[in-house]
Amino acid sequence: METPRVIPSALRVFEFSLGQMLWSRRSVFLALLVGAPIAMALGIRIIAAAHGLPVINGAGLTGPTLFGILMWLLFVRFIVPVLGVFYGTSLIADEVDDKTITYLFTRPVPRSAVLLGKYFSYLACVVLLVLPSVIVVYFLIVPIGGSIGQSFPQLAADLGMLVVGLASYGAVFSWVGARLKRPLIVGLVFAFGWESTVLLIPGYLKRLSVAYYLQALVPHAMPQDSSISSLLSAFQELPAVWVSLVCLTGITVVGLWLAGRTVEKREYVLEQ
Amino acid sequence: MSAKTRYFVIVSLLIMGVGLGTGLVAYYVGFPATAFFSKNGPEELRYMPSTATVVGAVEVREIMASDLRQRLKDKFGSDAQDNSRRQFQELTGINFETDIERIVACFDSHSSADNTALVLARGTFDATKIEALMREHGAEVQDYRGKRLILATKLFPEDTADHALNNDSNDTDVQPRKLPAHNTNMALTFIEPGLVAFGGRPLVEQAIDLHTGGGSSAATNDDLVAHLRGLEGSNAWIVGRLDAIRERAKLPEFVANQIPPITWFTVRGQIDGGVAARITAEARDDESANQLRDVVRGFLALAKLQTSSKPEFQRFVQSLQLGGTGTTVSLAVDVPAQVFDALGAAVPKQKQ
Repeated sequence: METPRVIPSALRVFEFSLGQMLWSRRSVFLALLVGAPIAMALGIRIIAAAHGLPVINGAGLTGPTLFGILMWLLFVRFIVPVLGVFYGTSLIADEVDDKTITYLFTRPVPRSAVLLGKYFSYLACVVLLVLPSVIVVYFLIVPIGGSIGQSFPQLAADLGMLVVGLASYGAVFSWVGARLKRPLIVGLVFAFGWESTVLLIPGYLKRLSVAYYLQALVPHAMPQDSSISSLLSAFQELPAVWVSLVCLTGITVVGLWLAGRTVEKREYVLEQ
Repeated sequence: MSAKTRYFVIVSLLIMGVGLGTGLVAYYVGFPATAFFSKNGPEELRYMPSTATVVGAVEVREIMASDLRQRLKDKFGSDAQDNSRRQFQELTGINFETDIERIVACFDSHSSADNTALVLARGTFDATKIEALMREHGAEVQDYRGKRLILATKLFPEDTADHALNNDSNDTDVQPRKLPAHNTNMALTFIEPGLVAFGGRPLVEQAIDLHTGGGSSAATNDDLVAHLRGLEGSNAWIVGRLDAIRERAKLPEFVANQIPPITWFTVRGQIDGGVAARITAEARDDESANQLRDVVRGFLALAKLQTSSKPEFQRFVQSLQLGGTGTTVSLAVDVPAQVFDALGAAVPKQKQ
């Protein structure tokens, strides 16, 4: 019997994994994560309507500025890496922990197709939750002293950047999850330790992070409020947008290839 | 895929589709985040005094992006104008073509101040740059009820008067004209994010007072608001009381007697591919209105006579329509873009 091809098998796995992933206990955490910015935006809108936004040195905060800050601080530096870590590392690790991986690997489909299908379901799940959240936040925040039409290109760029970021982080952490025994800890250290630190170090080290390429996609979203960030922006060498896109695509493809190869080669020993 | 999952995907895609679709339409159509015109006029009325005699507004961004403006720019634009715009942007950070969304201005004939005008501009402003520029030119900054008030009282000292010389002049025999130093009582403040108020200091301070919740504004002037209600759909308009302006102007009696007895006047225009405008005047009584209509009719006839041999102006004059009933006299004009093309061909080209 001929082994089914990878992509059709992956799509089959995607179909049943999507529902599984959406309605799992982990999704409560995901709902809180994407609901918090909406709640925050609502609060800001109410405060702005009642008292107006704060004025700093004569320059008032506007909706588009606030949206950029929320995008950078909340979504790019926190939500996207957290989703990548928690979901990416759990693609295979959860199946191992639940001892259900045997059932998947005994199916007549390539092992890498199982990983790929789960990765696609992760991507669909987070995209279908995060992007609507960003859009709702946009319509709540931007009209405060700003224009929906004028800021629309920024929204489109931010949405694209989020999809690329979720894909890249998901691919990297899916490999971490397939390869390591305690992937969550390693993932958190990478996302909030390595990525934060390496961006501050001058030189070539920062090129070994996803955030370096991600922030080049929407540099305007970076807040310039502190002296450190202003100093950083003065010394920062951001890659060109096309370079960032190519590198992030490369990171995604390589991450998925490594994850698939690991899953194909590795013998998963289930703890008794 | 279960039904629950399917519904979730549909709802999520719907939110994304509606959101992106709305944003896309807003981007191409130029729909503002807040409606320019609410039922009771533009929201900037809230910061204008209730005694405002004349109120006007221009949707700057919409007009700048209009087809007519592009045509006029192609025909009459010059490098000097482009340089001026660029210099203005470098000095203030304001790109006049894209940063200013709209301007609403008022004139208060009841104000006792020397400067009785207030201009409210909504758009994207670099407050720091604007303040720095004004300070560079001698402005002072004070705090007024929590807002930074930039006072341009010493904006034009004598030693900068030499700049009154026309820099383009090649005549070296012309001596620089010294202007006496003159003080102004102008002030500027950022009322809220994206809204700057500029004008006479008392009016700017009054705008701040109205913003912080004190006093009655032009939005509570029922007469004014009633006249604003008919102006929806236009991207430039002026509404005012001509009789109040006449009183303020303190004109000589024989001049004042020549001005028709008009109370309220309205000028509304829609500038896109062409210009559609309507001037409406309310006379004191029916007899005054009839006399005014006769006068206007006479001028129209004279204009038609004068332009009979000039086809490029004839089309413009023919578009003028007199109307109105009772105490109202109106004059409407609808000028398509082709008329401006013809006018442009008739007018000698500007020197670059």
